[in-house]
Amino acid sequence: MRAIFRVARATYYEGWRKRFLNGILVFAILIIGSSWVFTYLQPGAELKMLIDVGLGSIRFFGMLIAVFLGSRLVPDEIEKRTIYTLLSKPVTRMQFLLGKFFGGLATVVSNMALMGLTFYIVFMIKAPQFAQPTEDSPAYKMEFMYENIAKAVLLSFFEMAVVMGIAVVASVVFSWILAAIFSFFVYFTGQMSEFFGHLADPDTGASPVARVVLLTVYRVLPHFENFDVRESILTDVPVIWSYVGMTIGMGVLYITIVLALGYLFFNQREV
Amino acid sequence: MPAGVQSRRAARVREVADIALAIRTENLTKIYDVGWGRQHVGIEELNLEVETGQIFGLVGPNGSGKTTTLKLLLGLIFPTSGAGEVLGEPMGDPRSKNRVGYLPEGPYFYEHLNAPELLRMYGSLFGMGGAALDARIQELLELVDMWDRRDYRIADYSRGMLQRVGVAQSLINNPDLLFFDEPTSGLDPIGAKDIREVILRLRGEGKTVFLCSHLLKEMEPICDNIAILSRGRLVTEGSVAELLRGDRLRYRLELREPDEELLAKLQGNAEEVLWLEETCRLLFADRQAAFDAAAQAEDEGGYVLAAGPDRRTLEEVFIDAVGEVSVDASDL
Repeated sequence: MRAIFRVARATYYEGWRKRFLNGILVFAILIIGSSWVFTYLQPGAELKMLIDVGLGSIRFFGMLIAVFLGSRLVPDEIEKRTIYTLLSKPVTRMQFLLGKFFGGLATVVSNMALMGLTFYIVFMIKAPQFAQPTEDSPAYKMEFMYENIAKAVLLSFFEMAVVMGIAVVASVVFSWILAAIFSFFVYFTGQMSEFFGHLADPDTGASPVARVVLLTVYRVLPHFENFDVRESILTDVPVIWSYVGMTIGMGVLYITIVLALGYLFFNQREV
Repeated sequence: MPAGVQSRRAARVREVADIALAIRTENLTKIYDVGWGRQHVGIEELNLEVETGQIFGLVGPNGSGKTTTLKLLLGLIFPTSGAGEVLGEPMGDPRSKNRVGYLPEGPYFYEHLNAPELLRMYGSLFGMGGAALDARIQELLELVDMWDRRDYRIADYSRGMLQRVGVAQSLINNPDLLFFDEPTSGLDPIGAKDIREVILRLRGEGKTVFLCSHLLKEMEPICDNIAILSRGRLVTEGSVAELLRGDRLRYRLELREPDEELLAKLQGNAEEVLWLEETCRLLFADRQAAFDAAAQAEDEGGYVLAAGPDRRTLEEVFIDAVGEVSVDASDL
């Protein structure tokens, strides 16, 4: 544990020193901070716009940071040769990989927490002006939304943990550029995993071979759309804790499998 | 058997057993797959034995396999065939890592740290902490002359400062075996001298130092044993004294432009006569013949430049072993 913590800590501080990530964070905070401006584009649906832009930005910029940071964590160590001094000490490859993952994840979560905080402040100031009158009291309605938004941000953290895991492991197998492209591809196709599941349905008339391929894609890809609860928030459907817990559980399971696979590759990799 | 003989034999057995090997490789081979079905031989059937407590130098031209050997011994890369042991454990075994220190070539560290923070991080990987670690950090930074500059961020370090801190980090766990890859590379003469002194001090403390370098002039005075690699193969190996002496010790007499008459008289007893610009070097099989020839040359008005054992330089040994083709003169 000590070795993982030490590697993670060094990775976390190194992560904050990466200027392109700082640039993404600053840009993201600017967009989220000014998300209320976008509400003028859709009169009558200001709250939807605010939530869409705010939460959407947190997810999008969080994903960018997770992919660009995750895909460079291990290659940078190899390129700069810092890995030599670490692996020549009592640090196993598993500890190194986990340290890089958790350190990178801590950086991503910190970045997203800042974005989340910015959005919360904007939401607290602007949302009460846009809230539609309902049978419930406005105070109850807003409290309900705050809770759902907190759950949405929490789910985003774990979604990015999955993205980060994929990026880190892909970078062990491919070059960092390929790893980044691969991670983007998985992320965007993972947003449509349910669609692949529907296509694999016997009623669609797909050939048996196509069905096997589609079903495999459906089962292998992470179901990223499950982490997106914006629709529920906008339609006042409560995001229940059991759903949050199950989605997080699936995410953790996926990360575990991905990291285990990554370890198998990394254990054979020459540095 | 008399008791005295028995005890002497037992003592001899103990003596042999005490010569523990810090490193041993057996037919160690590393072949790199460089794509499109092509392969590159990194190391081929390398057999090395490094005794504990000595400074062992692995020398060779660039690309001869020195760093590959180091990486194999540290478990950073894996052998194609063959095996090796480090401190009695298989190469790369986590158990041996607690007793090993490593300075890579051109070391690079996390830039956001300063030297004490870096050493604290590495020390903690060995389970060190508290006042003992703080004291060790100060001791090492003083040893490499970095204590006064301890607050600088690594991002602001010069190459020499990185090298010094690299040496310090390799010693943090007080290792029994040190691997130094080009330890004086990029250092000014004073820095290089400081590092050589550290290496000699480590040997004085009973540690084994495995040095990789192509800077022969720096290796010659500090190494006990040297192995020369060329194109992945071990071409020669032995103690520095053995290598410099060659197969047998001869004696040389050097004269400055001797006249033909004197040369004709002297070369009768010489085994070999070499001309090096204005200097004539005569090589004799024994010491007496060389000194007799020197006396004769003096008597007859010859200009004697030098007389004595014909020791080669490591550079000459290296060129003989490797062949001039693969030697980059600028590396020497």
